[in-house]
Amino acid sequence: MIKALRILVLVLVGFHLVTSCSEEQDFDQIDDLAIAPSYETSIFYVKAQETLINRVEGLNFFTQDFNFDAFEEPFFTKRVLAGVITYELENTTSKPIEIRLEFLDQAENVLDTEIFSMDAAPTAILQRDVAYGATGKSLDIIKTTSEIRLTAINLGDNTSESTIQDPAIVLRSSAQFTLELK
Amino acid sequence: MRIRHCLLIAGILLTLGLTAQNKQILYDFNEIPQSLSINPGVEADFEWYAGVPLLSGISAYGGSNAISINDIFANDGVDINIKFRERALNVLTPKDELSTTIQLEYLNGGFRSNDPNIFYSFGGYVEFDNIGYWPQDYAYLLYDGNAGQLGRRYDLGDLKVRGSMVNVFHFGINKKVDRSLTLGARGKLYSAIADYSSSTNNGHLRNVEGQNNRIATNLNADLLLRTSGLRSLRNANNDDSLSNEIIGRALFGGDLGLGVDVGFTYHLSERTTITGSLLDVGFIYHSGDAKSYSLNGNATVEGIEIDVLENFASLDRDFWQELVDEIEQIVPFDTDTKGYISFRPTKLYASIRNDFGEPVGNGSSQNCDCTAGSYDGGPLRTKYRNSYGGQLYMINRPRGPQLALTGFYTRRIGNALALKGTYTIDKFSKTNVGLGMNLQAGPFNFYAMADNLLSYNNIAATNYASFQFGLNIISWGRK
Repeated sequence: MIKALRILVLVLVGFHLVTSCSEEQDFDQIDDLAIAPSYETSIFYVKAQETLINRVEGLNFFTQDFNFDAFEEPFFTKRVLAGVITYELENTTSKPIEIRLEFLDQAENVLDTEIFSMDAAPTAILQRDVAYGATGKSLDIIKTTSEIRLTAINLGDNTSESTIQDPAIVLRSSAQFTLELK
Repeated sequence: MRIRHCLLIAGILLTLGLTAQNKQILYDFNEIPQSLSINPGVEADFEWYAGVPLLSGISAYGGSNAISINDIFANDGVDINIKFRERALNVLTPKDELSTTIQLEYLNGGFRSNDPNIFYSFGGYVEFDNIGYWPQDYAYLLYDGNAGQLGRRYDLGDLKVRGSMVNVFHFGINKKVDRSLTLGARGKLYSAIADYSSSTNNGHLRNVEGQNNRIATNLNADLLLRTSGLRSLRNANNDDSLSNEIIGRALFGGDLGLGVDVGFTYHLSERTTITGSLLDVGFIYHSGDAKSYSLNGNATVEGIEIDVLENFASLDRDFWQELVDEIEQIVPFDTDTKGYISFRPTKLYASIRNDFGEPVGNGSSQNCDCTAGSYDGGPLRTKYRNSYGGQLYMINRPRGPQLALTGFYTRRIGNALALKGTYTIDKFSKTNVGLGMNLQAGPFNFYAMADNLLSYNNIAATNYASFQFGLNIISWGRK
């Protein structure tokens, strides 16, 4: 009897080991896994002091093309889904200022332009979010940008000086982009 | 369909992660010759034994202490993105591990010396061993990114992985010092096929409010990945000669190392026994095909910064390229081919055992001299039908020692069959019940063991699974 019981236990354990398995699994779900993180960092910062503005005759006191290859990196251009560039403009000079930002491709064609107009100090900081992608401007602008042209125009005089310490026009910017990694 | 699922899940479990497994069922199961491999000081009463090549010992283990296959891949209609976030991303921590060990013994044998108190064993096995911890902050960076996380510190030290594929040759001596004490030691020669390790990382990535610009991004990195053999294997794979390369590196063509195992068995009384062993105290020097990658430095950037007044004379400069060059200089990404030493994951076993019940073979059909200590007409050490006791297991891991405690009961049924049941508690499971069986049919010895049996009704939901089996030919004949 005991021997029979032992054999029965062994058979049951063996049967359990052989037949035990799992609930239904669907490994094809991995295809539905979406990985689309958003990354954020600063892009560029430009500061032009009022003393410099006063030294330059004419309206257009500053124009410069800057190489900007960050957006052209293949890793970025192949995966970018959407983005927002945030600009922050601060004017502590005694003059109204206009800033023009032009996005240029490799052939220096203008892809897009952002224009900021600021009253003379005292004035609030101007902040603008520019979206790219499905809810904003074309992503191709970003993907093909190779240079950024910055133009600053003095809409005031060349003699006055602000009483604020270290008067200047300051442009700050940061970008937030969503990438499709899978 | 069920079998297909079994195989698929087993395959994934076995490829999850790296470290040596706890062989708590095999430990001190001294009817099985392979118990010598985890305690060279076990009481071996064989005259000789020979493992059947490639079948004498196969063991595999895969596990994660905090997530299972079922958590993510169950066909339950829930979006995998929700499951991944709720059951992995928001739950797992850098202390949670994914690990795998596969060991294939291709040669194992032993024979008694002219001195009947000395038993020699020898053999070889290939071991693939991998351990990785959940890289929590890397996962957040990969899955969510760092947008809108001003001030959050992403810990780059979360990356800790280690893995190797090693061919091991070993030769051991087991000596019965007296009726109560048996000692053993085994020397090991490692021939590493491949190795990688990235377990000393430090640093962080953080966005904070900038001094000039909107955001300052701070990268503080001290990252190191060391590899050996991977380039050779990749090149061989491209040349369709991968098998030859693996065999060549396994047979002393790779990186070499030395190690030692030691162990003992001591009878405190007629029925109470303590044992202990220390395994894989050794190292491998990787020199032939070593390549290391490092990223080291501390940089804070706020994008391209142009002060027109300061840079008025040089505004035509390429500010973007200067920024890239500056970062690469401050936080250089370097590679080198200097050799390095890796230490084997050292393991410690200890046990206390109490025997009770009738002596094995007492008035029964014993047909072999398989009572411990019976060779050469020496004093007999009686085996009993039942044993119970406790075992301790520790292994050295990248995040510190890992511990497992086991309670066991062994039942010997005649001389042909022995069963060992275990209950183990460790970081993987608190319901780990295991069962091992040793079957002796004449000179043929077959053993099989598996643990975490309670999970077998849904193996995909388990955090841990392992099995071992083997086939030997054993002789107890007296010299």
